[in-house]
Amino acid sequence: MEPTLKFSPTELISAINQTLDYAYASVVLVGEVASFKVNQGKWVFFDIKDDESSVNCFMTLYQLKMPLEDGMKVMVRGVPKITKWGKFSFTVQAIQPVGEGSIKKAFELLKKKLAAEGLFDEAKKRPLPADISNIGVISSTQAAGYADFIKIINERWGGLKITTAHTQVQGLDAPAQIVRAIKYFNEHGGVDVIAILRGGGSADDLAAFNDEELVRAIAASKIPVITGIGHEVDESLADLAADVRASTPSNAAQMLTKDRAAEIRKIETTLDRVKQVIINNINNAIFENKNKVERITREWQNKVAALTENIKQKMKLLEALNPEKVLRQGYAILSGKVSPGSVVKITTFKQEINAEIKDVRDRQ
Amino acid sequence: MSETDNKPNLNQKIQKLDESVEWFYGDDFNLENATDKYKETLKLAKEIEGDLESLKNEIEILSEDFSK
Repeated sequence: MEPTLKFSPTELISAINQTLDYAYASVVLVGEVASFKVNQGKWVFFDIKDDESSVNCFMTLYQLKMPLEDGMKVMVRGVPKITKWGKFSFTVQAIQPVGEGSIKKAFELLKKKLAAEGLFDEAKKRPLPADISNIGVISSTQAAGYADFIKIINERWGGLKITTAHTQVQGLDAPAQIVRAIKYFNEHGGVDVIAILRGGGSADDLAAFNDEELVRAIAASKIPVITGIGHEVDESLADLAADVRASTPSNAAQMLTKDRAAEIRKIETTLDRVKQVIINNINNAIFENKNKVERITREWQNKVAALTENIKQKMKLLEALNPEKVLRQGYAILSGKVSPGSVVKITTFKQEINAEIKDVRDRQ
Repeated sequence: MSETDNKPNLNQKIQKLDESVEWFYGDDFNLENATDKYKETLKLAKEIEGDLESLKNEIEILSEDFSK
């Protein structure tokens, strides 16, 4: 029988690979990891299996962004091909744990590793800038979480420039896209803070935020990063590496902005207080002025009283020295030359008497 | 802080308002200048309130394709 097609081994492998390329340019494979091993510190080999079949997988260690162990359930994206030795292989481009158990296991292993490197150290975390005018957002513009964020921001504050990098926020491609967006903002600048946002979802949906490369990119960002991923109870490694963690995208919007209604109330209160300060100062000035007037009046009155008293004393003294008062007491004033035979004038209170002096003697 | 032109932004105006208010509590306060200062402060406060009520946020979605 004549063969329909005639190939050399190389040609056959090349033809099959072309067919695979055409038919399965990118395949996502979900299964359990088996026979995991790393060769020469750079090549990673493992099988993805289910109950009946097993697929040989290959990738570089550089591409492996999560801790891997036999028994973990993973989702891998890659390209099927036949090697030049005629073996089927699946070249993995991206890998992510799936299922609660595997996600938790990978999370704990990576958390331990990155924590040991200090990526989550509190001391490295920066506060949000006090004056935020430009916000760089990394999210899917179709996501509900993003819509919530924009809604809250618009309700609360105005005059902000929000620059959004649209990326996937779940799935195998999400981490690399988010990393590119972080790099974009760091290279182009112009934003005061980067907000990485994604609404709630299952553990599988949020697994992208436990990607090692993404966590490292967040930790290395020159621009402060806030995360608002999932719900309050969801904690991702991206949250741990971020400078500030918001519980949800809406919460991130609240943390990044003041509330305009509260700010208006605050301004009104401040103005009332300032008015009161002025009124208090005016009242104080009036009070001080009144006190001054009272003090001056009191001092003047005291001086007048002292002077009056002084005059009274002098008047009393003068009164005491008044000759009329002495005459009234029965004394008399003798005037004229006092010698025997001379006539002198004797003045009493009621009379003036001329009398002749008969004799003059010194008193004993 | 980013500033695209010389006009103060909302936060800068609020900061200026805070500084104006500080004067009323500081040692430099005097009744002679208080009325003028209050008028200035009131004008700035009303401007901020106007801004708060009317200012819209500008939202730009980057055209860059981050999938590549």
